[in-house]
Amino acid sequence: MKNATYLKVCVGITLVWVLGLLFVPPFALAVEQIMLLFLSTSAR
Amino acid sequence: MVRDACGGTHQVPTDDMLSSRAIANSVWKTMKILLQIVGILILLLLATLATLKLKHQNDDGPSVLFPGGKLVSGTLHQGPEPDWSFTDDVFTIELETSDPVSSRRIFVMESDGKVYVPSGYMRSFLGKLWKDWAFDVEEGSKAAVARIEGVRYERQLVRATDPAVVEGVAKKLAMKYGGGASPEAVSQIMQSVADGDTWIFEMAPVSG
Repeated sequence: MKNATYLKVCVGITLVWVLGLLFVPPFALAVEQIMLLFLSTSAR
Repeated sequence: MVRDACGGTHQVPTDDMLSSRAIANSVWKTMKILLQIVGILILLLLATLATLKLKHQNDDGPSVLFPGGKLVSGTLHQGPEPDWSFTDDVFTIELETSDPVSSRRIFVMESDGKVYVPSGYMRSFLGKLWKDWAFDVEEGSKAAVARIEGVRYERQLVRATDPAVVEGVAKKLAMKYGGGASPEAVSQIMQSVADGDTWIFEMAPVSG
């Protein structure tokens, strides 16, 4: 993948991800649950 | 070696050389793809942290993981000290600290008529980032507001280190959240408190 294409893909994926976190509560909740699981098993 | 039209000489690539160049190209392409995937994952992690932190920082209460803002809704408890044993049936409470103002979900344990909250992972790198509120309380303002089942209680957080107090809290912590207050579980929690890995705060009445 060329650098310009890669940057466009990064921007696109990030935009969709952030909008999902902001406006789709079940998605944001699932992401938070996964992060909480990671922290509670890794932060020792 | 071959001689070109201008009289220069060039080494003719052998099959071995061509083959190793192809392998190097292939490895580089794979590495590049892997680096690009790692880059996207790091970007998504940073975007998630920033987005959810900003999204929740002024909310009336925390989310599952991210701190919220000031606890606004709910009636403010006034009157005599409640019987805190009702918290045995409450899995988590919302706790607001004042400097800086932020709130989080946290375990709660009643022991000997008093009520306590724990903060774990205090000596690990991730814990220091995650539990920064406990350091803020230890070094700064102790004022706090707990919201339990829709009622807000003004309290002050006082770190408990007395082994006799910690033992009672450790028993309740193990019983409520650790699957049972076995002697091993209780001594493990007490050791964690003694080592500074877990901090216990009493939610004491506001003095004065």
